[in-house]
Amino acid sequence: MGSPVFYLRRLRTLIQTEVLVLPSRITVLVFSLGLLLLPLFTRDPYVLRILILTSIFAILAASWDLLSGFTGQINFGHALFFGVGSYSTALLNIHAHLPPWAGIPLGALGAVLAGLVIGIPCLRLRGTYLALTTLAFPIILLGVVFAIPGITGGELGISGLSRLSGSRVGDYYITVILMLGLGGVMWKITDSKTGIIFHAIREDELAVRASGLNTVRYKLLAFCLSSFFAGIAGGLYAHLMRTAGPSTLEVGTSFQVIIWAVFGGMVSIYGPIAGVFILFPLLEFLRILPKIRMLVFAFIVLLTLLYMPEGLIPWIRDKIEKECPRCKVRNAATRKTCRVCAASLEKA
Amino acid sequence: MKRRNLLQRILCFSVIVVFMSIPAWGADTIKIGVLGPMAFTQGEGHWNGATLAADEINAQGGVTVNGAKRQIELIKVDTNEFLSVPDATNAVELAISRFNADFLTGGFRTEAVTVMQDIAMDNKKIFLGCGAAHPELCERVATDYNRYKYWFRVTPINSKFLVKVDFILLGTVAKIMATQLNIPKIKVAIVAEQAAWNEPIVSVAQKKLPEMGMEVVGVWRPSPVATDVGAELSAVQRAGAHIIFTSFSSSVGIPFAKQLGELKIPAAPVGINVEAQKQSFYDATGGKGDYTLTINTYARVKITDATIPFFDSYLKRFGEAPNYTAGTYEALHILKEAIERANSLDSDKVVMELEKTDRPGTAGRLVFTKDHDVTWGPGYVTGLGTQWQDGKNQCVWPMGWEGVTYEGVVPYKLPPWIVEHYKK
Repeated sequence: MGSPVFYLRRLRTLIQTEVLVLPSRITVLVFSLGLLLLPLFTRDPYVLRILILTSIFAILAASWDLLSGFTGQINFGHALFFGVGSYSTALLNIHAHLPPWAGIPLGALGAVLAGLVIGIPCLRLRGTYLALTTLAFPIILLGVVFAIPGITGGELGISGLSRLSGSRVGDYYITVILMLGLGGVMWKITDSKTGIIFHAIREDELAVRASGLNTVRYKLLAFCLSSFFAGIAGGLYAHLMRTAGPSTLEVGTSFQVIIWAVFGGMVSIYGPIAGVFILFPLLEFLRILPKIRMLVFAFIVLLTLLYMPEGLIPWIRDKIEKECPRCKVRNAATRKTCRVCAASLEKA
Repeated sequence: MKRRNLLQRILCFSVIVVFMSIPAWGADTIKIGVLGPMAFTQGEGHWNGATLAADEINAQGGVTVNGAKRQIELIKVDTNEFLSVPDATNAVELAISRFNADFLTGGFRTEAVTVMQDIAMDNKKIFLGCGAAHPELCERVATDYNRYKYWFRVTPINSKFLVKVDFILLGTVAKIMATQLNIPKIKVAIVAEQAAWNEPIVSVAQKKLPEMGMEVVGVWRPSPVATDVGAELSAVQRAGAHIIFTSFSSSVGIPFAKQLGELKIPAAPVGINVEAQKQSFYDATGGKGDYTLTINTYARVKITDATIPFFDSYLKRFGEAPNYTAGTYEALHILKEAIERANSLDSDKVVMELEKTDRPGTAGRLVFTKDHDVTWGPGYVTGLGTQWQDGKNQCVWPMGWEGVTYEGVVPYKLPPWIVEHYKK
């Protein structure tokens, strides 16, 4: 157990050597600090509400990327995990009177169970077949929701849930800190050995299997991890809205997640998060053009993807950073030599 | 010196121009947020009804509060609630915190309205619901009055009563058929679009119709957006149905009525067909929509003295008969009266006055129940049954029901091909 001064020094060194050396990391730091400090400057309930919802959907979009981006298991029914998390948390709150801090993780475990249920049969499928099968699951669950209105509340949903916290600022800090924390955890997972295996499965599953790795186990792990984070997002959403309803399971919710993730840039975790932080407030801003709001929104998304097929954030990152041709470490675009191996970056 | 004088004059002139170009400078308005899915016909109804009422009230000088007349200012808030519940909640927050709406009206999709209601209650804003029919919205007032007392439902009658009227209409037509065509036992085909709201209606119909002395010959569930229901109609004909009990809220109501008229299937359509409530229905069915009977809220009959003037003004201004979300018209008028009685914009004081509402409204005598729902029944709001007859949407119910008949109601007409078929 070192002294606080030791840890502070270590943090300062880490920031100096790992964060301040890359424009993308500086942006993430400024963005995170900006979010954390925002309530000191404004407590406008509308602005805070938009950012709370944005944070929740950012967790959801990143969780989709963890599964579909990294392992290539394209999931068209991600709303299933969101909906199961939302309904499980709501039921635990209403019937077992569990507070949000206990109900949300348990609800997320319900989503993990759903991930296992659909993961096991889906593991035998690939490509279009997998995408279409995953699309079916939230629709099936929606049918179940309407079939047992006594439990699920039918079209009205389950309402009267406890508040996430006592205040809007409280809700804001809970969701923003969770978004930053869970985003960081997801990013670390994808940066670990497990993440490299996820990558490899997407690139060539047969080769991974030939190297003696059990790809089935890893794909199932990806389903469970993704569903857990999506379930957390669902639980937060239910407590924020104080209701869990059929809209959480709708096809539109699943497609929205894909749009956010693809727009921001897949296979990065931070790309989908940035995608939500751009698109969700943008849709709100476009209320100034009520009649053509959705049209302008769709036009912006289409134009972006036309000129930046990898997504907005990877495009920006490639403009401000260069990869060292020798050691593959990223450097600021202004550097002439690599910050690690000193190789020339002139032709990179 | 001359230059300074010139500058002073320009400044004075500019200030005067600014003051003159803003007619309402300094005059307070009462801001009302109209919430609805504005890209859809339901939202259009919300906005049109509110606009008509606001213009009428403003033309009379506005709302009198503390001896001063205040104009009504409407804020159009697109909730987009069919497509996104978060969008709807953001819209309400926007209306309250940014546009400083004093009162709210509208709402349509129950799941979204539940959350919208919570946001309004958190802010102690009076929300006059005009669109969502679920009873739960008013049951919340009964269970937690102090929190939910700011919610009132102006239209429609709640879904329990909508279903009740649905069965009354079915029973009425069954009786007419049995009497006029001498049919001993009426056979009914249930054709309900594949939608969640229809599930309880279908199951209740299957149970209730035999109790009413009728036989259910089958249940068909076409897609809400089907463009061809020929297969279902052929099956209904083969099943020997005398009546088709319909339950459509979406576009399927048009191809259904069109194909039924074209094929001249000997079964009378009765029930819910939201498309048939619209003025454009007859043209949309190519003139084949005649004899379609649907539940409705408004028709050109004298429910009260207010109904026909409202109906005519609405039709003249918007070229369309009012649909039930246009009940925002009523909402604004009862709000005006309550504000004037309370002589205040304070939500708690206005709630107390709204509870005393007893108004000959456009859809019937409007009195709120203790849980702030619209009172249903003879002498109050009843709902209507309207049938397309020779290209006109005529009111055919209530006609002598519980002693209620509105001036202008006409008798129900059986389709001639049905009469011909059964009198052979």
